[in-house]
Amino acid sequence: MNTAIDLPDRELDDLLPLIAAGDRIAFGKLYDLTSNKLFAVVRCVLKKPELAEEALQEAFMKIWQRSVSYERGSVRPMAWLAAIARNQAIDTKRRFAERLSSSTVELDQAAAVSVLPQAELAMELTRLRKCLSILPADRQDMVLLAYYQGWSREELAAQYNKPSTTIKTLLRRSLALLKECLDGNS
Amino acid sequence: MAIPEELEELAAEYALGSLPPDEHLEAEALMQKDPLFSLQVKAWERRLIPLVLALEPVEPPARIRGAVMKAITGDSFDSATVIKLERRASNWRWATIGASAIAASLAAFIFLHTPANPVNGQRYVAVLQAEGPGPAFLASIDLVNGNISVRTMGAPPQPGKSYELWAVGGGRDKPQSLGVIDASLKIPASKLGQLDASKMRDTVFAVSLEPEGGSPTSQPTGPVMFTGKLVPTE
Repeated sequence: MNTAIDLPDRELDDLLPLIAAGDRIAFGKLYDLTSNKLFAVVRCVLKKPELAEEALQEAFMKIWQRSVSYERGSVRPMAWLAAIARNQAIDTKRRFAERLSSSTVELDQAAAVSVLPQAELAMELTRLRKCLSILPADRQDMVLLAYYQGWSREELAAQYNKPSTTIKTLLRRSLALLKECLDGNS
Repeated sequence: MAIPEELEELAAEYALGSLPPDEHLEAEALMQKDPLFSLQVKAWERRLIPLVLALEPVEPPARIRGAVMKAITGDSFDSATVIKLERRASNWRWATIGASAIAASLAAFIFLHTPANPVNGQRYVAVLQAEGPGPAFLASIDLVNGNISVRTMGAPPQPGKSYELWAVGGGRDKPQSLGVIDASLKIPASKLGQLDASKMRDTVFAVSLEPEGGSPTSQPTGPVMFTGKLVPTE
């Protein structure tokens, strides 16, 4: 889907106000432009296909319902959409209380993200990865597991055999370092 | 939670997705009422988004598109959809009401959103539904911000007619107009001032079909199309 690779931010920015006004054709276009990316997002969090599909469907219902609150320019549209999809996936996951399983495999998947051939994106991603690399390896994994797979502090605590208060501290320190690195390099 | 550093950390973890459920809800409530916090969350989403955008796209099954499109046009709403709405947040609950003074034959599904923040939890959601095709309107009633917003979920447009929202019962001797649901699906916030929170428990919300611009009298003149009721969980 080349359209999604090209990150059609401007097109999405044009579609969202129409969707907010109830334009279903615009909504269909938005679905076509973003569903494969958003499906990738929810599939990271939800391994079970039926849950991932349900989450995707509910995410699009939320996008339809919340389009009125989208503020053009305040956030990149794909970031806004992806955040809805991720939060939906995390909600769905919690609801079904998926058990921790085959975490090593999941970890590998989280670490081995395939970079898309889009110059600007690749640059942003390169910078983010560079900044991530200043963190100790286990902290990098924690951040990626939380972000990609929606692991909560509790799940990370179980995986890393540390109290969840320690996980909280580690995550927050890691994020502060990440922010310093990213914002300092902009 | 008033310390700026803590808010920043909360925003970061919220964007990361690692918050436990209670703090996740707290962050969502803050997003609504604290513009600075909301900006912090957005800044974090922007920082992390390259990770998500870099994911290899995965084509979802084609039937999902059909399901989504049907759901928003409302012609395939069924009880499963309603149940999903209920399941979407476990702290919503739904109830059906039987006979009501205005719509004995209409089934209504009612949702109450349990306040995420108990201090100002004055948000209500009502799904207004007719018997047949499923939810028609979703009304969000926010007593704190003074907003009623209505989203159409399948109510068909009626050329030359207007939908009008009414509050019925709850100590009122006759239906109280909350306004015409206009193209932007907003009800003037001033109307809400007339709603008494203590009467919400027994208030039925109804939508009637009126001449364009709303009822010429102060009472419903057209058929009551949809009803829904807010039921407190406490």
